[in-house]
Amino acid sequence: MIGQMLDIVTTAAILYAVATGLLLVFGVMKIINFAHGGLMTLGGYAALVTTQAGLNPWLAIPAAALFGGVVGMGIERFVVRPLYNRPLDAILATWGLSIIIGQLITIAFGRGVQFAASPLNGTLDLFGESYSAYRLALVGIAAVLGIALTALLQGTRLGLETRAVIMNEDLARGLGINSGLVRFLTFTLGSALAGVAGALITPLSSVDPGMGVPWLVNAFMLVLVSGASLLSLLFACLVLGGAQVLVATHFSPVLGGLTIAVLAAVILRIRPKGFARD
Amino acid sequence: MTEARRLSLILAVALAALAAIFAGPYVLDTYSVNVLTRSLLYAAVALTVDLLWGFLGILTFGQSVFFACGAYAAGLVFTHMDFSTSNAFLALGLGVGGALLVAAIVGWLAFWHGASALYASVITLVLPIVATQLLYSGGTFTGSSSGLSGFMSFDLSMEAWFWLSGSFLVGVTTLAYIFVKSDAGRLLVAVRENEQRCKYLGLDTSRLKILVYLACAAIAAVAGYIYAGYAMVVAPELAGFVFGTELVIWTALGGRGTLLGPVFGALIVDYESAQLAGDYPFVWQLIIGTLFVLVIVAFPRGLLPVVFDVPRKLLGLLRPRTAAPATSVTLSTLDPASTQGVEPGDGPALAVADVVKRFGSLTVLEGIDFEARAGELVSLVGPNGAGKTTLMRCIADGAERSAGTIKVNGYDIGRKPPEACVALGVGRKFQMANVFETLTVAQCLQIARVRHARPSLWRRASDLPLPEAAMHVLATTGLDRQLATPAHLLSHGMKQALELSMVLALEPRVLLLDEPTAGLTKTERMQIGAILIDLAKKQGLCVLLVEHDLDFVREISSRVIVLHQGRIVLDGSVEEVVASELVKQVYAGSGHAGIDHETAPTPSQEMPA
Repeated sequence: MIGQMLDIVTTAAILYAVATGLLLVFGVMKIINFAHGGLMTLGGYAALVTTQAGLNPWLAIPAAALFGGVVGMGIERFVVRPLYNRPLDAILATWGLSIIIGQLITIAFGRGVQFAASPLNGTLDLFGESYSAYRLALVGIAAVLGIALTALLQGTRLGLETRAVIMNEDLARGLGINSGLVRFLTFTLGSALAGVAGALITPLSSVDPGMGVPWLVNAFMLVLVSGASLLSLLFACLVLGGAQVLVATHFSPVLGGLTIAVLAAVILRIRPKGFARD
Repeated sequence: MTEARRLSLILAVALAALAAIFAGPYVLDTYSVNVLTRSLLYAAVALTVDLLWGFLGILTFGQSVFFACGAYAAGLVFTHMDFSTSNAFLALGLGVGGALLVAAIVGWLAFWHGASALYASVITLVLPIVATQLLYSGGTFTGSSSGLSGFMSFDLSMEAWFWLSGSFLVGVTTLAYIFVKSDAGRLLVAVRENEQRCKYLGLDTSRLKILVYLACAAIAAVAGYIYAGYAMVVAPELAGFVFGTELVIWTALGGRGTLLGPVFGALIVDYESAQLAGDYPFVWQLIIGTLFVLVIVAFPRGLLPVVFDVPRKLLGLLRPRTAAPATSVTLSTLDPASTQGVEPGDGPALAVADVVKRFGSLTVLEGIDFEARAGELVSLVGPNGAGKTTLMRCIADGAERSAGTIKVNGYDIGRKPPEACVALGVGRKFQMANVFETLTVAQCLQIARVRHARPSLWRRASDLPLPEAAMHVLATTGLDRQLATPAHLLSHGMKQALELSMVLALEPRVLLLDEPTAGLTKTERMQIGAILIDLAKKQGLCVLLVEHDLDFVREISSRVIVLHQGRIVLDGSVEEVVASELVKQVYAGSGHAGIDHETAPTPSQEMPA
């Protein structure tokens, strides 16, 4: 019972870490960044390179953020910017970028499955249950990410401008906010977060050129049911991630893998706003 | 070009394509014939992606699932039940039937009234993920990750499979081409361009989308069935998201909305993939990915139009430009006896009883109660935010109001969607001119008549009979001389007139007009006013008009209803309203200004409250 609770909380934390970058981009730019999966893969390989170079595995996180952020800058400038008025096309173009990133990584690193060193090994005893220390650490990391992003959005001038752009871009522009710059910074930040997410999941799974893609669809569905709020994303991750854990343990892992996508589709059919408040 | 010549030209090209398919195995090497057989089937699926995405505007990632439906039906039946002629038919039936069933479920989920384009795409994205997981978990029945192989199949030579696949592709492409160029096919573009206007022209767009989706699913399933028969192996990847997106990539590269572009896109890319994948697998994928991004960003229409435009432009340099083709549609007036619209029920043409509209805790309309008879021209006036447009919306869409009943022609509109309200006799003209921008004037009018005259699936009508009222508007404004002009080239006033004639072509009994004269010149306004009086007096329409120009209201109305803060404050003759102290207060706020047109609010871009 305790073990299952911990499974649910840690799964929700991982999903939250994976989806925040996508949520940020969707909230501000109203486009779905299908390169998110590719950027996660990039982050995973950044972690691999870092640990293979013998550096402290924790350094993988800033390294992945750097890689993701720099590539994100290029993507925003040359691909996403011309497509602001064509949101469906932006999905396709960013999916194409995902293919490009995947193929470049394949050419550089080969198709094989590799493993990165984990920053934390072993287990911790919690409520009488011995549980993976790294998964527990992820809960803390996801919480830090969420709090830092909330502080950034609520406490800084950039955050205020970003929220203004989320609510009403035309009005924000009319008030002299450089919405182009806000979009650029948001996309860069979202891409950096995708890289971080990729680095965070490497100790849990293998590193291979297609590692980001399975996460993409779940993150995408979570973002759609959450609207543009970090809080409702947390709620969605707990509910849908929890459902995934329950279905996977009590019915079958295959059905568990489908839970988030199917539930999210049904939720959106019944309530198009999803978990977002009015 | 006459209709017969146009169709024979299409058939001639199709025959030439069939001849090329027939010659294929004699000029190509065995390897190419083998690979191209698969490419031809993939091209047929890419064609369905184009019908859905390029024409209807539904970006779909899930056509692979219907292909896999057909393929797995064959694989499962031939593996578990042996191959025989009757089983072959059974497998085909199961494949197509299964695909139709899945498509019906997806269509119900994705194309309900009010679903967004993004939501429909999301559903088609979830579909292949669910399908592959189900195939993986099917154990020995579906062969799990390795799929099914080693089953018996039709005893056909490789050439015969090539001919079969090729003829199937040419067949569906020809039919699809004839369809999209027909009067019925034009509806697809109309729905993509302006779904709202389609609904308010009485078209059930959800039903249209589901029908096209079902047809596309069936085509993909047949292609998958042929594929399984020829390849004699089926694998879960056929249903996958990756194949689904590949189809979209081929469609985008070839040129969405061109039919031939996606077909050639699929043929060339899949064939070249097979050629190059052995030597440079990753580089080839990289090139395709880069090309895809480039095309989406820089050439959203795809490469086929680019290829065709270059020689056309070169020819244009050599030859002087020929005159624009004369309009191929001739208008005619319908017998007035047959354009009475819906049979009138008992009672008034429009009865609004106790209607309330709330947005959350904000009450926009409250206790709205009035009746209007046929032949009346009722003006709704009131300051901005009084709820005039909201009231119009409530009458034209049964799902809008929060409480109360609305009867049109004696029939309760209940919670019916706009297209059903149109069937009861409601015609709504929007505040902003709302037409199909890329279609011509004649085509816009044809779409307005679809409700009465079922459009042909293969022909283009050369005459367009319209009700007298619509003809009258066209003739008065001179639009009848601009039938071949695309709507986006029309002036603002002409667009207003076009939308009015489209609504009149519906043969409405209750005509809802939201500021029909906003932004028009004085002359245009007088013309429209005369037409409206005529409609009410001679044709017996019940006209409900939202108007800010009180001079105009005074000239044409038989009755005026004043709305203020969501309530009816006055309902009476023009004289009563003009003389009313209350109305002066409502408009001026404090009560000492007159109701002269100088102080009347100017027509502005009023946001629906």
